[in-house]
Amino acid sequence: MHIAEGFLPAPHAIGWTVAAAPFVVHGARAVVKEVREHPESTLLLGAAGAFTFVLSAIKLPSITGSSSHPTGTGAGAVLFRPPVMALLGTVVLLFQALLLAHGGLTTLGANAFAFAVVGPWAGYGAYRLARALGAGLLPGVFVALALADLATYVTTSLQLALAFPDAAGGFAGAVVKFLGVFALTQVPLALAEGLLGVLLFRVLTTSARPELERLGLLPAVPAEERG
Amino acid sequence: MSAGLAVDDAAWASAWRTRAPLDKLLLCGGLVVCALVLPAWPGSVLVALTAVALALGPARVPARTFGRAVRWPLAFVATGALTAVVSVDGGGLGWAPDAAARAGDLVGHSVAGGAAVLLLATTTPVSDLLPVLRRLRVPAAVVEVASVTYRLLFVLLDSLRTIREAQANRMGYSSVRRSYRSSGALAAAVLTRSFDRARRMQEGLAGRGMETGLRVLPEALPSSPAFLAASAAGLATLLTVGLVA
Repeated sequence: MHIAEGFLPAPHAIGWTVAAAPFVVHGARAVVKEVREHPESTLLLGAAGAFTFVLSAIKLPSITGSSSHPTGTGAGAVLFRPPVMALLGTVVLLFQALLLAHGGLTTLGANAFAFAVVGPWAGYGAYRLARALGAGLLPGVFVALALADLATYVTTSLQLALAFPDAAGGFAGAVVKFLGVFALTQVPLALAEGLLGVLLFRVLTTSARPELERLGLLPAVPAEERG
Repeated sequence: MSAGLAVDDAAWASAWRTRAPLDKLLLCGGLVVCALVLPAWPGSVLVALTAVALALGPARVPARTFGRAVRWPLAFVATGALTAVVSVDGGGLGWAPDAAARAGDLVGHSVAGGAAVLLLATTTPVSDLLPVLRRLRVPAAVVEVASVTYRLLFVLLDSLRTIREAQANRMGYSSVRRSYRSSGALAAAVLTRSFDRARRMQEGLAGRGMETGLRVLPEALPSSPAFLAASAAGLATLLTVGLVA
């Protein structure tokens, strides 16, 4: 769920762009540094961006009967860390605006803040917390993806409430309204995305174990023990 | 069946494909700004009509593509605008004062802005816009990652469709439980394939002596003074009519 082009008044569009900019610039610096040190990462990072875009094209059956699309940033945050996702997420948003007419250019800053900054950080934070509390990889992945999705939707609702306070209830009233309307689709979707993440990582732990070990998600097992 | 995205296909086939990307960016950027700052009536309506007329007329974008592309944003705009103008007062729901005018404003700005962005999207392939980012001083490494993303995206979408079709033919989506299992396996297969492909491409390029990124000759798309002058005149007219009326 991205805010459509032209939906936010100009001051809000500018304000959110300014708010998202430091994170995206920080992400860009991380990518430039990574590419300078490991030129071969260009293709890997490009693949990660393309995967995030394509993940949002997978339709998940939702409890409410309709089907929904995952945000895909939670998986990226676990695999590649939030700073890189701030940049990749923004690139994906730009492509979604230009290739699918999802979101927009003046609302790119607001959407980047929710989708590429808050979502990945919330998901990654939840993942680290779950792992620190002793949870395994899969429960960690579930909370990361579900929370990244939920945090994105809550942020979008707050952005809309700030732009359109309720006539009677003010900002608080508007928050309740927007959260309520979008909760119908987004809460089942968050759970569905968490579940998809578990299934995804379960396959990855068997088919792409060396990659997960290299990314530090699983403890490295010496080759001779792997059999 | 085309493996592409309808908007991207339209951009490559558009009659404006050979126009300079910066020319189109200036025109569409101007329209986007007009859509945002002009009052909804008559400004937004004029901007929307201009964008649609330019797309379907001189740029020769198929009306079907244009129409289909606006469906999703319209669903968001309708839900969002409706929510914005409903008022929660003491537990009861009611219309906010001037609800119709506010909803009209919101829908007007969004539809006009959306049409302006879509005019750019359906006439300019993303690969033409990325070099413009470079001129806006976005670091080369970032533009390169973005261009790899753009190029791999279609390969992955193709894999996604093929795998999903194979899964569906094997009853992989016959129940909710199976749908989830299949979706998880689908995401994992696409991820491992994308990384595998990236690694093999990297090895292939390294074998050919690539050191500092993928260098491609940019296609020369010269800027047209007449197009720029017409854009400036059109935008000035829109601004004048929008502000005075």
